Amino acid sequence: MSNKVMTMKEAVSKNVKSGDLLFVGGAQHGSPNAAVHEIVRQRIDHLTLIALLSNTGILIGEGLVDTLLTGYYQLDEKRSYGLQRARAKGKYPVVKEYSHFGIAQALYAGYMGVPFMPTKSQIGSDMPKYNDNIKTITCPFTGTKTGVIRAVVPDVGILHVQRCDAEGNAQRWGTLGVDHEGINASKKIIITTEKIVDGDVIRRDPNRTIIPGFRVNAVVEQPFGAYPVHLAGCYNDGPNTFGAMQDEEAWENNLKDAVTGVKDWNEYLENLKKINGADFLEKLKIKNPAMSEPVITGI
Amino acid sequence: MTQGKYATDYTTADQMVISAARQIKNTDTVYVGVGLPMQAGVLAKNFHAPGCTIIIENGIVRASLFPLPRATDTLGSQSYAEQLSGLFYVNCLAQAGYITTGFMGGGQIDRYGNVNDTAVGDYRNPIHRWPGSGGGNDVMSFCGRTIVILEQTKRRFLEKVDFNTCPGYFDGKPGRREEIGLRPNTGPVAVITDLATYTFENREMTLKSVHTGCGITLDQVKAELSWDVKVAKDLTDTEPPTVEEMRVYQEKIVAARVMPPGARPPGPPPGR
Repeated sequence: MSNKVMTMKEAVSKNVKSGDLLFVGGAQHGSPNAAVHEIVRQRIDHLTLIALLSNTGILIGEGLVDTLLTGYYQLDEKRSYGLQRARAKGKYPVVKEYSHFGIAQALYAGYMGVPFMPTKSQIGSDMPKYNDNIKTITCPFTGTKTGVIRAVVPDVGILHVQRCDAEGNAQRWGTLGVDHEGINASKKIIITTEKIVDGDVIRRDPNRTIIPGFRVNAVVEQPFGAYPVHLAGCYNDGPNTFGAMQDEEAWENNLKDAVTGVKDWNEYLENLKKINGADFLEKLKIKNPAMSEPVITGI
Repeated sequence: MTQGKYATDYTTADQMVISAARQIKNTDTVYVGVGLPMQAGVLAKNFHAPGCTIIIENGIVRASLFPLPRATDTLGSQSYAEQLSGLFYVNCLAQAGYITTGFMGGGQIDRYGNVNDTAVGDYRNPIHRWPGSGGGNDVMSFCGRTIVILEQTKRRFLEKVDFNTCPGYFDGKPGRREEIGLRPNTGPVAVITDLATYTFENREMTLKSVHTGCGITLDQVKAELSWDVKVAKDLTDTEPPTVEEMRVYQEKIVAARVMPPGARPPGPPPGR
């Protein structure tokens, strides 16, 4: 019997440590918001964060991030309450900027177990002047110049998926952003899943497995674990997906509602239903599911 | 010109999106960024270029129609796509040379097509910050023809950008892109603004047409550039939106348009 299935509290406290290099999956799609909020609840700090278009602003605004590896982030302090809050705490992160492909390639190199990846991205731009993880070298085969991006190997990666078995064989579909590279590059892995399914469900469609169970450290069943971000085949965006919490009051309210005032994400979801109606989450579920043809395997 | 072919009630912002959409050919594979590029791509797909394939950086490959997404990734832009993969995959397509056309916005652009999406002033102590490259650098570095769409003001159109996020032709001398390792026959080919359209002649931004149908004059265009811009010998009036273009634009773009919070707002950036 697997001992990987655990609560979000256990999964985070056992696997995410102060000072870790953390990968957060879910680029604009199926972000692991329940897990991110648990990190805030446990106030795990001095993180180096690598993420792409995921909802990680709360980690920065709460002063938990020392270094941010990113390709696109609201870095205008005048327009970002989260950055102002980090600054006030003396926790404004060091930012290393890449292009989006640069982030993907850094993680891909980590996933491959090689020290760097050649690239035609970012070369000649001003980004390498301020990010020592991007350099230009001479190609040993052609003698021409090529960019190189240093591998990133996260200490821990978190991914939210549609389904996963108790052993951690995790299946995710829809757009994958940098999920495949990021989670496979990570040393320790937390999978949060809408549903824990029988291993047989996984084994009848094994090409969909994004990470095999032997690589996974923790499995957490968390319905609406990506709320308020959409998740393919499951639910649509909730209100205020982007750009909420742009002043102190909104930020503190959200912190109380989703982190400090509740014991876990399920209590937060229950409160959302109390405030917005019992069918609030039900209404976000997809209304016109498109069923694929069965994928046939077997002997 | 047949009577009534062209719309009469339209704005410079409408002309910008419609002129940009016309850059997309039916046979193109187009990598579109968030905002105005996405609007131009969806318009082209719904009007004159139904055969084009649209690539969205999160891993979406679409030959079929889809509704204008709020940013780039929605259930609507994912559902019924021909292929869903990830950002790594679609950028490999681009880097290897399989994406004909790139479509991007920008914070600032300069005479040689270099785009700044990063910082105004000193990087370490900026007067203004944009969110950074995102996929912008990848689009400009990889795609065959890149089209840049942005509102034109003197503060955005500079002799030289403060920060080169997405290299165009660097200082304009021949071969600069190839020297640093970029593929030949890539780089910016057009700039579309709310005042005018530009091409590149010998790697230098060159005024091609003025949105005279919206009442814009050549002097106004020149007043919103920080250098003495080269003017094409065959400078023309921008073709106004046709009645049919406007109808599809109103229906598929304007009606579906929601400004994603955090996106670059229209209008000039704060002062330098």
